[in-house]
Amino acid sequence: MPNLTVLESLNAAMAHELEHDPDVVLMGEDVGQAGGIFRTSQGLQQRFGSARVIDTPLDEKGIVAHAIGMALYGLKPIAEIQFSGFIHDAFEHIMFCAARYRWASGGQYSCPMVIRAPSFGGIKGGLWHSQSVEAYFVHHGGIKILVPSTPQDAYGMTIAAVRDPDPVLLVEPVPLYRALSAEVELDGQPIEIGKASVLRQGDDCTVLTYGPIRHWVAEVADELAAERGYQAEVIDLRSLIPYDIECILSSVRKTGRVVIVHEAPLSLGYGAELAAVIQDKAFGYLHTPIQRLAAPDVPYHFSIGDEYYRPSRDRIRAAIERTMEYEI
Amino acid sequence: MARKRGGPSGTGRKQDKAIVCPLARAEELGIRQVIDQDGKLTGDLPEPDLDRETLIRLYEMMVLVRAIDERGWTLQRSGRVEFWIPHRGLEAVHNAATIAFTMEDWIFMGYRHPGTLLLRGAPLVQLFAQYFGRRDEPFKGRRLPTLMGDRRLNVVPMTTQVGSYIPHACGAAWAAKIKRHDTRFLAMFGDGSSSRGEFHSGMNFAGVFKPPIVFICENNGWAVSTPTDVQTASATFAEKGDAYGVRNLRVDGNDALAVYAVTREARELAPEIGASLIEAVTYRMGFHTSSDNPDLYRSKADVEAWEPWDPLVRLRKYLEHKGFWAEAEEEALWQRCKDEIQAAIEEAEAMPLPEPASMFDDTFAEPTWMLEEQRAALLDDLGGKA
Ligand SMILES: Cc1ncc(C[n+]2csc(CCOP(=O)(O)OP(=O)(O)O)c2C)c(N)n1
Repeated sequence: MPNLTVLESLNAAMAHELEHDPDVVLMGEDVGQAGGIFRTSQGLQQRFGSARVIDTPLDEKGIVAHAIGMALYGLKPIAEIQFSGFIHDAFEHIMFCAARYRWASGGQYSCPMVIRAPSFGGIKGGLWHSQSVEAYFVHHGGIKILVPSTPQDAYGMTIAAVRDPDPVLLVEPVPLYRALSAEVELDGQPIEIGKASVLRQGDDCTVLTYGPIRHWVAEVADELAAERGYQAEVIDLRSLIPYDIECILSSVRKTGRVVIVHEAPLSLGYGAELAAVIQDKAFGYLHTPIQRLAAPDVPYHFSIGDEYYRPSRDRIRAAIERTMEYEI
Repeated sequence: MARKRGGPSGTGRKQDKAIVCPLARAEELGIRQVIDQDGKLTGDLPEPDLDRETLIRLYEMMVLVRAIDERGWTLQRSGRVEFWIPHRGLEAVHNAATIAFTMEDWIFMGYRHPGTLLLRGAPLVQLFAQYFGRRDEPFKGRRLPTLMGDRRLNVVPMTTQVGSYIPHACGAAWAAKIKRHDTRFLAMFGDGSSSRGEFHSGMNFAGVFKPPIVFICENNGWAVSTPTDVQTASATFAEKGDAYGVRNLRVDGNDALAVYAVTREARELAPEIGASLIEAVTYRMGFHTSSDNPDLYRSKADVEAWEPWDPLVRLRKYLEHKGFWAEAEEEALWQRCKDEIQAAIEEAEAMPLPEPASMFDDTFAEPTWMLEEQRAALLDDLGGKA
């Protein structure tokens, strides 16, 4: 198996789909000749031509809106938004067009398409280049939301997204693009949408997370097991819509303690839904209040954001300890 | 105007054929000029009425701004500044446009326009404090290096989403008109920005409501790796104004005198006719940003075609012809710029970073209980560290 970075895995998945399905096209700002500003699509235009790997004008709304038209006609567009911080211009088209065509046409039309949104902090990008935008898109149905955080997940979830019959928002982990590599099975197989992955088993506490910080959460859990004997079960949700309710509930029933960690802002963030559904479906199993650790409800700070805006390792550790040591 | 190959600035994909700088065909392409490549009057636009002191100040600022770019680049490459957006070759447009306005006028600046702040009186150390993300600069270290502004100087910072501020600028100018103020407005943005809906909305409102504003589309040939002919099929960016009933023209963006002349004229006309759209034809000599690699998408020959049209050299030759400048002064000027920059770097680098809790400030005029609680939780977790 080849050892690939997250970036190379995304590239390999897109190349696989472009090669095997003539209806797949990739479009966005600078994705063609230059191979994307991160080089995610390096070499793809050279290989598949400029009619299928398309440099567009600088217009996020236009990119998504035209991709919708392509999807209606039968193509399977992959639309890249250069940074998720610039996706909001296309919000109307993503949430109220792509995610609505099926329902609003009585099931006659649909928009199978992928919107790629490079996301998350950690690259000293300041507010527009470090955003976690997923919570804006989880509010109503019609669009699936995937968050791969390993090379294999990036590969398999991109393939799943392209083949899904509905629009999919692929929330990509920019800080891991080059920082993380692993052996990847290039089998052309999709990863099933809606399945979480259990990174670490444990009986004492369930930690629910997703995105690049899932790696910190797993490391901190290992340290706490070695130092304090706290056995945390760490779950990377990977798929936010739909989410893996079975996996979550079976863990919570076992541990009775829950910590939720994400790097998007706290209030009405994704963790709020998780806390609500857990108290609804597993209230009798809980020993402690559900705790959320998230970014504050403010913009991402350029010079100190990477250190203090995202939940740090220290804060993740403190949150797990608080939950483990909670006294009624 | 005839449609030509290669888009509004002649910039197309990597190609083998000989590349001619569009400024060499200015007349044919409707690009207005005051001086030619050698700083001699072309006879097209009249020579603007600028005194010796102003001309020298303009030239010295263009040199200072170039020196800032050279130093900023090396600071980024050595890891002392996190990020850099180069502005080499773009010194004429923003500096000449800035001096066409009064201090009461408002400017919406872009990220390649440091001279705008300096010409309005910002100290050099303020810029470097911003580049280093320090606490004591107007944005308190919150924004990416080169994204600047300063309310005290009537310079509104750009929104990082390129082009978003075009309607903001238009709305501000409209407000001044409603309030019967004589404030005039300048908004500068790139060719790529003209593809966004905001450009079209801004032009449309500007045509209808006639606010006192000058839009400068700095056509530098590229939006990251995207050449102008992928950005638009229009022969020029200026002519987009025609569709909206906005007065428009093209100017040589490497001719500081021409930029000044047409911008000043547009400013003077603004109370009567409303908006003007000026397409300044220039070229991004540097990388898009410090994260870019232009070798992937443009040829060296393309860049070389623009070298002889360097805006600094052209203005200097003009000054020399007028007897306002001597070659001997050149070295001293550069040395002075470098010394000033070095002093500013030393002072700025020694300044403190923002405190963690400060990221909660300015979210609202008064923080909500929600933010207060989140701030307390952060400080709690940080213990002694905050
Ligand atoms: C809405 C939006 N999309 C994408 C980006 C990323 N981006 C930053 S600069 C840039 C190119 C802008 O080109 P142009 O307006 O011509 O200005 P230039 O950089 O050439 O001065 C892009 C795509 C952004 N800042 N905003």
